[in-house]
Amino acid sequence: MEFPFQQYFESMPCYLTVQNRDLKVILANNKFVTDFGNYKDRYCYQVYKHRADKCEYCAVEKTFRDGVSLSSEELVQCLNGRKVSVIINTTAIRDDDGDIVAVMEMSTDVTDIKDLQREFKENQERYKMLFEEVPCFISIQDKDFNIINANRLHRETFGCYLGCKCYEVYKHRKEECYPCTVRRTFEDGTIHRHEEVVTTLDGRTINCMVHTAPIRDANGKISHVIEMSLDITELRELQDQLTSIGLLISSISHGIKGLLNGLNGGIYLVNKGIENDNKERLTQGWEIVLRNINRIKSMVMDILYYAKDREPFWEQVSALELANQACESVKDKAIELKIGFICELDDNAGDFDCDRKAVRALLINLIENSIDACRIDKSKENHTVKFQLFGNDENIIFKIIDNGIGMDRETREKAFSLFFSSKGGEGTGLGLFIANKITAAHGGKIEIQSELKKGSEFTVTIPKRSIDLSSIDIK
Amino acid sequence: MSKKSILIIDDEPDTLTFFSNILEDNGYNTITADNGETGLEKLNETIPDLITLDITMPEMSGVKYYRTIKGNEKWKSIPIIIITGISDEFQTFISSRKQVPPPEGYISKPVEGSELINLVKKLLGD
Repeated sequence: MEFPFQQYFESMPCYLTVQNRDLKVILANNKFVTDFGNYKDRYCYQVYKHRADKCEYCAVEKTFRDGVSLSSEELVQCLNGRKVSVIINTTAIRDDDGDIVAVMEMSTDVTDIKDLQREFKENQERYKMLFEEVPCFISIQDKDFNIINANRLHRETFGCYLGCKCYEVYKHRKEECYPCTVRRTFEDGTIHRHEEVVTTLDGRTINCMVHTAPIRDANGKISHVIEMSLDITELRELQDQLTSIGLLISSISHGIKGLLNGLNGGIYLVNKGIENDNKERLTQGWEIVLRNINRIKSMVMDILYYAKDREPFWEQVSALELANQACESVKDKAIELKIGFICELDDNAGDFDCDRKAVRALLINLIENSIDACRIDKSKENHTVKFQLFGNDENIIFKIIDNGIGMDRETREKAFSLFFSSKGGEGTGLGLFIANKITAAHGGKIEIQSELKKGSEFTVTIPKRSIDLSSIDIK
Repeated sequence: MSKKSILIIDDEPDTLTFFSNILEDNGYNTITADNGETGLEKLNETIPDLITLDITMPEMSGVKYYRTIKGNEKWKSIPIIIITGISDEFQTFISSRKQVPPPEGYISKPVEGSELINLVKKLLGD
């Protein structure tokens, strides 16, 4: 090698060798000598890889054959045993006639880059695993609320709807929800949380605690938002039960105060009757006492029914008789509110096994709910609630149809949730929850068909014969 | 001297019977109404010396009735005793009354007869 090229050869920050056709190293720079030692009369594969035979793939040999410069990745071993990842480049050295007389091999140490790449890949795998397997629903959304990525649980629970709008997938809505935590995170770049009721692929409604966090691009601008939703349905169900007991206690304590007031009145009259030897007053007072004692008894039974999952008190009951009793209880309210009330009861519906009091309460509850839906509706002049009874070999079917305010899909799906009411401050959110609970306790089901501003149809189906309820999940 | 009259408004029939008996036994005339609307009708017939008023009632609630009475020149001087079973309800009532004066008396259900009579006598100066 002639000066000044020798100087360049030595100063290159890589291993440089020149090899002959036998793959013997005939020239190498100092960096090579320092790390791989003496190369005189040794073959490339001996020096680089401590092998006895040449490599299966040899870029130098190929360059000798084709004259083409090649590049490949190799793992070589230094004198001190350190393994070095290198990218090699080969170049043919030709004589004046153009014949290849040697090949120059330039090997660049890329060990650090390879380590970083491996670490990056491992981290990527770890995060992918975390993203996929974490026990909550994760989606990544763009500014238009399109889901561009979702984890396994999300895909399995809500279906694979990549590219769809978040609100379509979660809530089957046509427009953005309010409030929208994703929007707020896009707007202010901070983490937001909010509780939502969403609907799964198989139609189940679940309560979710939704957290949203920004994802920023290299310039710090928010490009996407990650939405993480934790299923808190079981927690809410437990909370619902506790709250339900609390609410019942509060409501019942009001009732008990009224009854005690009545008892005070009865006792006052009884005392005055005895004091003045006035039989009429004594009788009047005693009737008040008895009436209030009976009301307390009935109230205690109600508390036991709602505060505890008690077994229905089964008896065989005429569906027609029960339906008529329910009609009698609600018709005055309908008349008072000038709402048409039509009863279409099949005389031959038959008997069925049920807890008479519970089913009557269920029917009154649903009919009164429909009457309220009509009362609140200001968009129509005339309102009607239709109550129907049918029977077949297997089931007793009650239908309550109204042309009141109706429900959108979201309201319909939340209808049986405890304390969810679409009647603003007027509803307690207890009625349909209890109706559903009673129906489930009878092994039956309630189906709702409803359209906003048009009306609703509730269909209660109860098996005629009581079944083993131990297998039914009563919520 | 004619007897003073008291209008009792409550949707619970046993409460109406209780209050009317005890008040009459103590020398008062009583008029009863089972909701706010009927209570207003009774006022058009005769003006009582005092009113006992429940809050949660159908038709017209005690809150609306109270506002109507205290906002009417002819009726606003009639003393009113609020009688309710829900203490929270009374607090809500107090905070929602805004531009009307506070009630002259308040008793929580269940009512002890002597408590009612003492308060009525005090308010009527008997």
